[in-house]
Amino acid sequence: MTRKTSASLLLGAAVLLLAACDPQAQQGSIVLTQVPVGAPAPQDMTVLDARYPPGSRVVLLSPPFGAQAVRVLSEGLEAAGDPCVSWDGRWVYFAGKDKDRQGWQIYRVAAGGGSPERLTDAPGGAMDPAVAAHEELVYSSPVPKAGRLWASPEPPSLYGMLPGKAPRRLTFGPDAAVNPTVLRDGRILYVGAAASDSRRAQPHLCLYTVNNDGTEVTAYAGQDDGVDTVRRPRELGDGRIGFLASRGHEPGASEWAEGVRSAAPFATRANLLPFPGQGCRSVEPTPEGELLVCADVAGMVGRSMTANAALFRVAPGAAELGAPVFDDPSWNSIEATGIARRDEAAGHTTTVMPAASQGTILCLNANDSCEPATDGTGSPAAQLRITAIVGPGQLRVLGTVPVASDGSVLVRLPAGVPLGLDTLDGAGRVLRHQPPVFWLLPGENRACVGCHERRSHSPRNVRPLAVQTDPESIGLAGKSYSR
Amino acid sequence: MNLKRSLFAVTTAALAFSVVVLGGGYGLRAHQRIRSGRPDLGLVSCTHCHQGSLNKMPWAKARPHHDSPGGMVLSPDGKRLFIALDDKDEVAEADVATLAVLRRAKVPGGPFGLALDAQGERLFVACQHVDQVAVLDTSDLAEKARVSVGVRPTDIAFCPTRGGERLVVTNSGSDDISILSPSPLAEVARVAGGREPYAATVVDGGRCVYVANRMAVHDGQLAPPASEVTVLDPASGHIVNRLALDSAHMAEGIAAVPKKGWVLNTMIRVRNLVPITQVKDGWVMASGLAISQADGAVTQVPLDEANASFSDPSGVVASPDGRRAFVASGGSDVVTVVDLDWLNSWLSRASPADRGDAIMDMAFSYHYVLARIPTGCNPKHLALSPDGSRLFVAERLDDSVLVVDTASLKPLGRIVLGDGGRNDPIRQGERVFTRARYTFQGGFDCRSCHADGHVDGLSYDFDGSGVGDNLLDNRSLCGVAGTEPFKWNGRNPTLQFQDGPRFARVLMRTDPIPDPQLDELATFILHLPPTRTIPWDQVGKPLTPAQQRGRDLFFATKRPNGTPIPRSRQCQVCHRPPLYTNRLIASVGTQGRRDPKEGFDTPHLIGVGASAPYLHDGRARTLEEIWTVYQIDDLHGVSSYWTKLQLNDMVEYLRTL
Repeated sequence: MTRKTSASLLLGAAVLLLAACDPQAQQGSIVLTQVPVGAPAPQDMTVLDARYPPGSRVVLLSPPFGAQAVRVLSEGLEAAGDPCVSWDGRWVYFAGKDKDRQGWQIYRVAAGGGSPERLTDAPGGAMDPAVAAHEELVYSSPVPKAGRLWASPEPPSLYGMLPGKAPRRLTFGPDAAVNPTVLRDGRILYVGAAASDSRRAQPHLCLYTVNNDGTEVTAYAGQDDGVDTVRRPRELGDGRIGFLASRGHEPGASEWAEGVRSAAPFATRANLLPFPGQGCRSVEPTPEGELLVCADVAGMVGRSMTANAALFRVAPGAAELGAPVFDDPSWNSIEATGIARRDEAAGHTTTVMPAASQGTILCLNANDSCEPATDGTGSPAAQLRITAIVGPGQLRVLGTVPVASDGSVLVRLPAGVPLGLDTLDGAGRVLRHQPPVFWLLPGENRACVGCHERRSHSPRNVRPLAVQTDPESIGLAGKSYSR
Repeated sequence: MNLKRSLFAVTTAALAFSVVVLGGGYGLRAHQRIRSGRPDLGLVSCTHCHQGSLNKMPWAKARPHHDSPGGMVLSPDGKRLFIALDDKDEVAEADVATLAVLRRAKVPGGPFGLALDAQGERLFVACQHVDQVAVLDTSDLAEKARVSVGVRPTDIAFCPTRGGERLVVTNSGSDDISILSPSPLAEVARVAGGREPYAATVVDGGRCVYVANRMAVHDGQLAPPASEVTVLDPASGHIVNRLALDSAHMAEGIAAVPKKGWVLNTMIRVRNLVPITQVKDGWVMASGLAISQADGAVTQVPLDEANASFSDPSGVVASPDGRRAFVASGGSDVVTVVDLDWLNSWLSRASPADRGDAIMDMAFSYHYVLARIPTGCNPKHLALSPDGSRLFVAERLDDSVLVVDTASLKPLGRIVLGDGGRNDPIRQGERVFTRARYTFQGGFDCRSCHADGHVDGLSYDFDGSGVGDNLLDNRSLCGVAGTEPFKWNGRNPTLQFQDGPRFARVLMRTDPIPDPQLDELATFILHLPPTRTIPWDQVGKPLTPAQQRGRDLFFATKRPNGTPIPRSRQCQVCHRPPLYTNRLIASVGTQGRRDPKEGFDTPHLIGVGASAPYLHDGRARTLEEIWTVYQIDDLHGVSSYWTKLQLNDMVEYLRTL
């Protein structure tokens, strides 16, 4: 063998080895979650066990999407589901359950196939992977028991984990934060419960955003409208946010696709598809501007009333679902997402100062509200009362601060706990009540237009009186002191 | 023995070196302390005082020139488009059917604003670099006449009036408006505008002319600014009305709406008095459209939407039927199509409160924004064909004009004027400067506060490590080369440091601008020449007697009674020419409660006459107020002996810098 031949062989071997390490998926491939039809759910199951019973798997579908084109990506796992694809289209993240560890964690596998690599070791499990800028993994943890997602004593929160770094908790609300997805502007859009004083098994679910450092939690859509349950929000790329809606919280409740326009998300909630979309399991955008829809085929022409879920590709303006692009009768195709390189979401330079213990909130006018005061007199607010949830079921009044004559308030508050605000009149009566639902991170400077102010409103250009003095500082102990 | 000799020699040399270094250092430090009048001063670079020649500044050197389209106007038959190429000192004529450039004519002086007479025979050109208006014959594009107007004319409008034909010229640098007679070409009147008259539109066939004033009038540090729409009667030259656009600045586009009697202004709605805690929902600024109705009522509506911004609204045109408007967003590379019929219907039923609140509702635009048309880089001026069927979009930093079919809103092609200057790092930096995608949701870009690299005349409250009480005056970037460090606290040694991760954290709320683009941005900024504050025909001329007296005061070392003025309080020591700064931190007694005790960076004074307000937080509305209102114990130069006339002289001199 000549030296040249040897070198060629070595080069070829190296190329093959590299290809094997990071195999690429074929152009136009789709990642799909398959759930075996009729699979029994395990005992003492979690919400993921109910959604992905044993045998559920994440597979790669390559064009032309025949049954023989299926390649299992979650090889070796007892169950898997909820895949998402990295910005460069080279990796698939999903939630998987190891046969031995008996817990759900987040895994990553090369889009073209390979051995799944476990990324998280979250106590109580991890679910709902999403990818933010700089390949930061975002997930929800812990994984609650089935039927207890919105009443769990330890509600799941969102976490962010940069490659090679420890996870950071992003949300600190009193209720679960689940189903994150990352918007092109870099924010994390997720499902949470509308603000309420009581923990309910069936709260009104809606969409929130938070920066990928946990700051600036903001209502996004659905707080004031629609049915009680939403799930799996996705940015569709045509100015809309799509999600699944249903009337009940029970597993298996029939869902349909709805959407809002990001230009006016509080005024545009409507059905996403122009045809009846009952039995919808997932909706994801494609780079070509179409939608990948997983939906039940039960009741369709030629199918029984107990048939499985299949994968459809829906063009913009399509009048009907059409024929499935993939349908294996022995599997429910419940989640599908295309494998493609996409523009990475914007990043966010954090404003968090880890050494700090407080954040600052500026309310420009506590009297600016779209809701009438409870006393109906129109009295101006004289004080702002701050409440916090300091432990499971422990609501504490942290203190009160005066409201300036222009309605503005500036106060430093403890970071990392759910905070609530009540405006009080001169006699100490509650004018408006905001249960603990938002939080501050250390060093975060947060501002709001008013209390229950109108959605998507910007402030008036006036100088708030409250900034002319140093802010009062309130700690968790509820004791006010000067800075 | 040799070893001993060597040791002795080395030791002696070391000692001598030490003596020279230490002595030299001591002497140097003593020199610097004496010359600066600052006994506390540590050893600093000699270049703080010995600044070299301005001719060596990047902005003073030759640079590439580009075919950037400025103002555009269509011939009455809609067949020819005239395009001003200010950077090339040319006017181009393009065939609308073939999109080919037919010819170019040399028009010296930075031709920017264009207007045609009713027959399309005379092309009037505002030449912003030489403060003149030129007239070209459209048959051969030959220049027929030229006349001087105010400083930096940017736009020109032709209007037939009851008193004959008139031209209205916006003099952005002298804050006034020239009214010309076209035949013979002569200035017949000049009236005061707002701050930076920038664009003009003719209403009711010449009954009146509305003028957009780009910058807001600053009326006190804590008062909301307002940009003015100046309404004048071109026949008499009288001001008819002055409309205020509340909290608006960068109002640089204006268009009359046929059949509705409206005038539209593009504008940026600023929230500079509100601490910057977030970018979303227009907390720093948002793009908007001001609708001025015939009765003088002004209503502002947003062009941004709830989760996206479209920064730097600039050119605006309305369709001949008055049903649609098109707005160029220079920072977002889109043209927004606005449904004026919807707005008309809404205005007819909206309460005054609804009208006042509309600009605050970021989701409101959902009702009337019909489309966002993608364009090339930095769309600015717009023009519509007479029948309204074609929209022409000047893609300023791509050296091209996009042609759009207004029925389908699809592009029909481009008039290519140049190569876009892709290999010019200054041009590349300008693209970064005008690119809003480096800010969260595209909320704004560098130009949103620094039009032409200069100031917007506002103070902003950066939250830094706290909220409030941190108002900082916006400083000009023009002529900033060589004046480092930057930022009012003087802590940023380079523009890359100033505009990199720190800006991303406190202002842009996204990832920092990547290093290669940051270098390009710095290159562009360093090549921005100083703002010209005096008329072109006075450049290089001797100072007037008043200016000379002001200069004598500026360089005074003694009071009139012979009492020496301490060096640290002589104007020319801190504001040392030729940059008019010694680039050191100084305290002039203006620090607030949360300001650094050591003081602030000494700002350069080049172009200071056009950069009001003044002092670090913009508390002084005028140069005069620095000494009449905010002078404390003669800390900011010894001015207590000045008479009112001497103060006037000083201001006159400063305006020449």
